[in-house]
Amino acid sequence: MIQILFISFITIAIAIAANIVFGRRHSQHVSIAALLLVLIYISYSISAFASGGIALSESLPYISSLGVSLHFTLTPISIMLITMSLIVTLAAMVWQGFRSSNTHSMNSLLLLFELSAIGLFASANLFLFYIFWDVGVIAVFFIIRSFGSASRDVASKNFLIYSIFASALLLFAIMLIYFYTPVGSFNISYITAHSSEIPTAIQESIFMLMFMAFAIKMPIFPFHSWMPNAYSNAPTSGSVVLAGVLSKFGAYGMLVLFYMLPVAETLNEYIYAIAVISIFYAAFAAMKQNDLKKMAGYTSMVESGIILAGITALNYLGKYGSVYMMLAHGFTIALMFIAIGSIEFAYGTRSLSILRGAVSSAKSASYSFMFSIFGSTGMPLTAGFVAELMIFIGTASAFGLYGIIPLIGVILVGAYMYLAASRSIMSTKEKLQEVGIISKPQKAAMAIAIAAILFFGIFPFILLNLVRI
Amino acid sequence: MAPIEYFGYALFALLALLVLASVSAPFYRRKKASFVLGATLLASIALTASYLFASGSSFYLFNIFKIYQFSMLFAGLFSILLLLVMVLSYDAPSSFNSFFMMFGFAAIGIILVPMASSMVGLLLSLELASIPAIFMIAINGKRFIESSVKLLIMSGIAISILVFAMALIFPYDAQLSLVQVSAFGLIKGSYLVLLALVLFIGGLSIEAALFPFNLWVPDVYQGAPANMSAMLSGINKKIAFVALMEIVFTVFAAYSATYATLFMVLSILTMFFGNLAAMVQKNVKRLLAYSSISQAGYILVGFAAASQYGLEASIFQIITHSFMIIGAFAIIMLLENLGIRTIDEYRGMSSRNGYLALALSLLLLSMAGVPPLMGFTGKFLLFTSAIKSNLLALALIGILNSFISIYYYSKVIIVMYQPKREERLVIPKAVIAVISIALLVIVIFGVYPQPMISIAERAASALLGV
Repeated sequence: MIQILFISFITIAIAIAANIVFGRRHSQHVSIAALLLVLIYISYSISAFASGGIALSESLPYISSLGVSLHFTLTPISIMLITMSLIVTLAAMVWQGFRSSNTHSMNSLLLLFELSAIGLFASANLFLFYIFWDVGVIAVFFIIRSFGSASRDVASKNFLIYSIFASALLLFAIMLIYFYTPVGSFNISYITAHSSEIPTAIQESIFMLMFMAFAIKMPIFPFHSWMPNAYSNAPTSGSVVLAGVLSKFGAYGMLVLFYMLPVAETLNEYIYAIAVISIFYAAFAAMKQNDLKKMAGYTSMVESGIILAGITALNYLGKYGSVYMMLAHGFTIALMFIAIGSIEFAYGTRSLSILRGAVSSAKSASYSFMFSIFGSTGMPLTAGFVAELMIFIGTASAFGLYGIIPLIGVILVGAYMYLAASRSIMSTKEKLQEVGIISKPQKAAMAIAIAAILFFGIFPFILLNLVRI
Repeated sequence: MAPIEYFGYALFALLALLVLASVSAPFYRRKKASFVLGATLLASIALTASYLFASGSSFYLFNIFKIYQFSMLFAGLFSILLLLVMVLSYDAPSSFNSFFMMFGFAAIGIILVPMASSMVGLLLSLELASIPAIFMIAINGKRFIESSVKLLIMSGIAISILVFAMALIFPYDAQLSLVQVSAFGLIKGSYLVLLALVLFIGGLSIEAALFPFNLWVPDVYQGAPANMSAMLSGINKKIAFVALMEIVFTVFAAYSATYATLFMVLSILTMFFGNLAAMVQKNVKRLLAYSSISQAGYILVGFAAASQYGLEASIFQIITHSFMIIGAFAIIMLLENLGIRTIDEYRGMSSRNGYLALALSLLLLSMAGVPPLMGFTGKFLLFTSAIKSNLLALALIGILNSFISIYYYSKVIIVMYQPKREERLVIPKAVIAVISIALLVIVIFGVYPQPMISIAERAASALLGV
């Protein structure tokens, strides 16, 4: 039995240590090689998943007095999300190239973040979930703090305050669960099996606490106000992992929550309503943005709403549709932020009104941006299409015709973005003078993201077949 | 006499040598000699104590001291911490030799507190530990006199309350032996005994800086030189907790319901007071003083749980906090000598010295209870111990407090990472060593806490005699 996850942790830890010890030299090579290695392990686990050549559950003793062990499980869902997080982090790492003087500190933070992502998506108990959640938050905080743009002070402070608030709610809820389960336990599968023994009123309060914590991270409508600032002031690689992977921490937590507590079956309609409100709010908010990064942030919020809608359906298609949506959205939003970062690099601005005719010289970035808009709208042959199809069949069978309302929001924001971008960035009437030439690593990062979107759009069965087993 | 008991006597011989070294220190002209002597002796004490801890033996020495896993854990821990403080004090403005004279006596008192198994031994060793600290502050110069006088008055009050409490116990147990009283359950069902319990808690609360008795703490910590603040909060405060454990969990074991309520109230008040007061501080040293008050409140959560599990969690948190606070005060000391005191003056520390900023950030994050550092594990153990004793409300208040505390810790961290170009800052090797040891401990036992937890577990079960 090969313990894929432990090997991955060790690989990444060695890469972090190498980054710290050797500094800037070879940092890029070492870090990328580590991520590629882990990607190879995970793809091996996809092929070996059915045949049982790998350990599906890995456990080491950790804190025996609490009954907490280093317990990780490799489920289809965790494989999908880990694959996504690896590719997105890889793209973010490739994008920043070799030149920056702080490559090694950025790379070690990105690797630390990736470590926390793998741990979180595979953790089998809430204790580890909480630990990796906080490690991820701290890593992203330092990414924004140390490498962000002009008003990173406010952005990182907002991000930290909201994240700490979310962590507090999460820890409260975990402690309540520990107190009210028959034998105080953090194990997710144990809690799921015994959750009906928790009194309903307590279940509701646990549910509300965790819902708020995860809604902050996703983000969902009333809890999103940290988002525009943090997304727009983070460095490009930071925005990529923030929107691509960190928001999935919340989404994955939401998925765990909905299938853990039976009270979700009575609350799901209200949460669905919140999701729909969030989708339309974000769609309209996206329309009045001039800053491309803020616009991308609000599109990402639209899709977070769709993920939440899929989860609230509480049926098979809704569940796996939302997981596939997390994967698809990770790639599309990564591509969108990478393209925006490259455009900013080429022209020194992100303002939609100034960027008229950007396509004249920064061709690769402009076309990538357009492609990311198609991807997020759910064009056939992109991964988003498969995901949205599954989600909307799921919500329609759960909520009837109401289940299709979010589709209007998606089309609305997709159409608006297409029109807006084609009138300014893709305009052939004007020409714009570039200040920087988009480098090869930047193009490679865009290629990675595009390839991932198409690959998982054309061959969705590679990952979705895991679920059937 | 069993062979292992020779090691117990060897420990006392080492302590006696420490007395000799500290008495002769003023006669040396160079400070290196007394430093090397003291370091060797403290290291040997730590080694002997850890050997005795590992052997798991339990026996009495001279009838008033007991060698068992609880006392050996703390003897070893305190000698390591004393070593760290000694390294920090080496370059302090006061003469190291005269510092070392007091320091040796204080060290003996500190190491004897966990070993005391009778009221007399406890009182004497507490006295011996707290009195030299007053002079160690005062010898640094005129402006430290105020702080040392405050400490003198508070120690005096604490000791006299303790003596009064012991006098109240005396009719029940003429031997004053902690073990015999608890073994026979001699003291039960009298209001005088309850009064004694309250007086014990009150007297030790002054030294441990629990809420109504802690108003001296910020003044003294801020007024004292930073190496002494490190010693006061990292070691002297912890021995009060150790003494509290010895008395409350053995002598007053029959009153667990009473003292659990008392400790719960004290814990909640202390946490809120420390955290809320720390939020408005501008001076980093004062901020750390208030933060260390709130940490005392967390440690009390384990006392309130009144179970073996709670005791274990408290021991774990005591170890954690002593390393965190000594590491933090080492940095404060360095910066204070350069005239950097307020939070605003910490601006741009990351560009002046990256390692220093990273170290202080990690130490503060650990104090705030952010995983995967040791402070988080300690708090998590404490709160789950409260939950296991059916104190859900206390656990939730504790969590609330630890998130309030992130506000002021992160304020310092954020400021340090703001850009400001200034000349580079060089850290002396001694300070680097102390910071690195503290960092290593909190990171290693944060990521993999099980060894430390099982050590705490063995000490707790040794104390409770399970």
